[in-house]
Amino acid sequence: MDLPTLISILQSGLALGVLYALMAFGLAIVWTTLGIFNFAHGAFIAAGAYLAWQFGNAAAFGLGYWAGAVLAVAAMFVIGAVVQLLLVRPFERHRDIVLLTVITTLAGATIITNLLNVIWGPRMKQIEPALDGEIVFGLVHMRSQEAVMIAVVAVTLFALGWFLLRTPLGRSMRAVAQNREAAQLMGLDVRLLYALTFGLAAAVAGLAGVFIGSIRFMSPTMGDDPLQKALVVVILGGVARFTSSVYAAFAVGIIEAFSTYFVGLYWTPAVLFGLMILVLIVKPEGLFGRRQRSV
Amino acid sequence: MAAVLEARGLSKSFGGLQAVADIDFAVAEGEVLGIAGPNGSGKSTLFNILTKVPFAADRGTVLLDGRPIQGRRPHEIARLGVARTFQRESVFPSLSAIDNVLLAAEGARRGGFAACLAAAEQALDLAGFPATLHNMPAGQLPVFLRKLVMIASALALQPRVLLLDEPASSLTPQEIERIRALILKLVGAGMTILLIEHVLPLLTAVSDRLMVLDHGTLIASGRPAEVIADPAVIEAYLGRER
Repeated sequence: MDLPTLISILQSGLALGVLYALMAFGLAIVWTTLGIFNFAHGAFIAAGAYLAWQFGNAAAFGLGYWAGAVLAVAAMFVIGAVVQLLLVRPFERHRDIVLLTVITTLAGATIITNLLNVIWGPRMKQIEPALDGEIVFGLVHMRSQEAVMIAVVAVTLFALGWFLLRTPLGRSMRAVAQNREAAQLMGLDVRLLYALTFGLAAAVAGLAGVFIGSIRFMSPTMGDDPLQKALVVVILGGVARFTSSVYAAFAVGIIEAFSTYFVGLYWTPAVLFGLMILVLIVKPEGLFGRRQRSV
Repeated sequence: MAAVLEARGLSKSFGGLQAVADIDFAVAEGEVLGIAGPNGSGKSTLFNILTKVPFAADRGTVLLDGRPIQGRRPHEIARLGVARTFQRESVFPSLSAIDNVLLAAEGARRGGFAACLAAAEQALDLAGFPATLHNMPAGQLPVFLRKLVMIASALALQPRVLLLDEPASSLTPQEIERIRALILKLVGAGMTILLIEHVLPLLTAVSDRLMVLDHGTLIASGRPAEVIADPAVIEAYLGRER
């Protein structure tokens, strides 16, 4: 393999990694905080993309790329909180909450996907990128939109880390994730925090949708593949820390890029799922996880 | 003297098991009400239904400063001033000791970050937690210090009444002595306390009054020396003499 090819693969892996980090964040924070797996996460990604298209594209409201992205992310926050209220909260204290919410979030995913189909139709769309053209640094040739995506995701991930570690609300979310009952006794409104967590997860998923929609074509089912990838990332990384799934996202991105080069696009999902199964057998807490879940 | 916390006809059952049956009590300002009873007698269930964490009473009324609170949600009850610690050291393990207590100060909604941080530091100092360990993750602390973090968190809520559930369990005699001194310090500061404890010397040393539960019912109540000499209490703990 020559150097330009290696750089091209790493660059592709980095771009995939940042997207996967965004996709996995919401899935991981909902799992650690509410203890459930949200199957509507992929539909949130698709809804974010369509909302950004609606707000931003010249063919719709025409507010521009950034205004479209911001409004889509804000709308997804509200939609996420409402979905939690309708599909998760009714089963909050039920002993079969995990199974019940698998069913309700799957139903939610189907409803959202069909709504996207009804509102915007099945024809492929694309969000006009924020920047056209290409950036060249020595051997690195990158689409400007990809560079924008990497920069924005890096800032977003740092902001999310800062929010979770340094702000009272972030501290409260981490506390609820670790000990619901003690959190209630500390005066924390657990129901509100659950809704905010779901809203935050949906907002970040929506941002991932905006980027996917501006580098690929959009369809109502565009969230299905990202949901699978986010699942692989979360299982590979573990959920012990916020950073676990971020590291895993970059690992999966790089592995996928190399796998696509060496074994082809067709077999790459099989490689990733094979790796996921291997990790589940050898280190079920995840590559960056801790064996014991917090009490 | 007016009661800070009062319960009337509190009951809780799980299927056919009556865990708490028609309990009445009142605790006055600055008073320590000790609660004793054999394992499974309903002591912790009583604390659970007073705080609604994790469940509420089936029947009965709870009054805080004369106002009913059983219609409130659990976090609201905590913010109104009913603070509780658990028998096992229930902390947020990946958060530092100071962040654990800071959460409670912020939960109490009294002032901005600087005021909350000061309240958290003050609560840890009051509990006797070493200042050098403020930034240690709570999950890495030994049992005794985790208990202090839990008590400091309860204190940071600036409660009207403090519910302590077996603070001396799993501790060495020296640590129990420090817990005794801490409770007496809180009493000296005018704190109203409900104390569940199996370590009877500690319970009788700090309590103004004692009530004893057995199979969810109140079998004795009064001054500690009288209650522990009560034949019904002796029978509940040791069984009937044949």
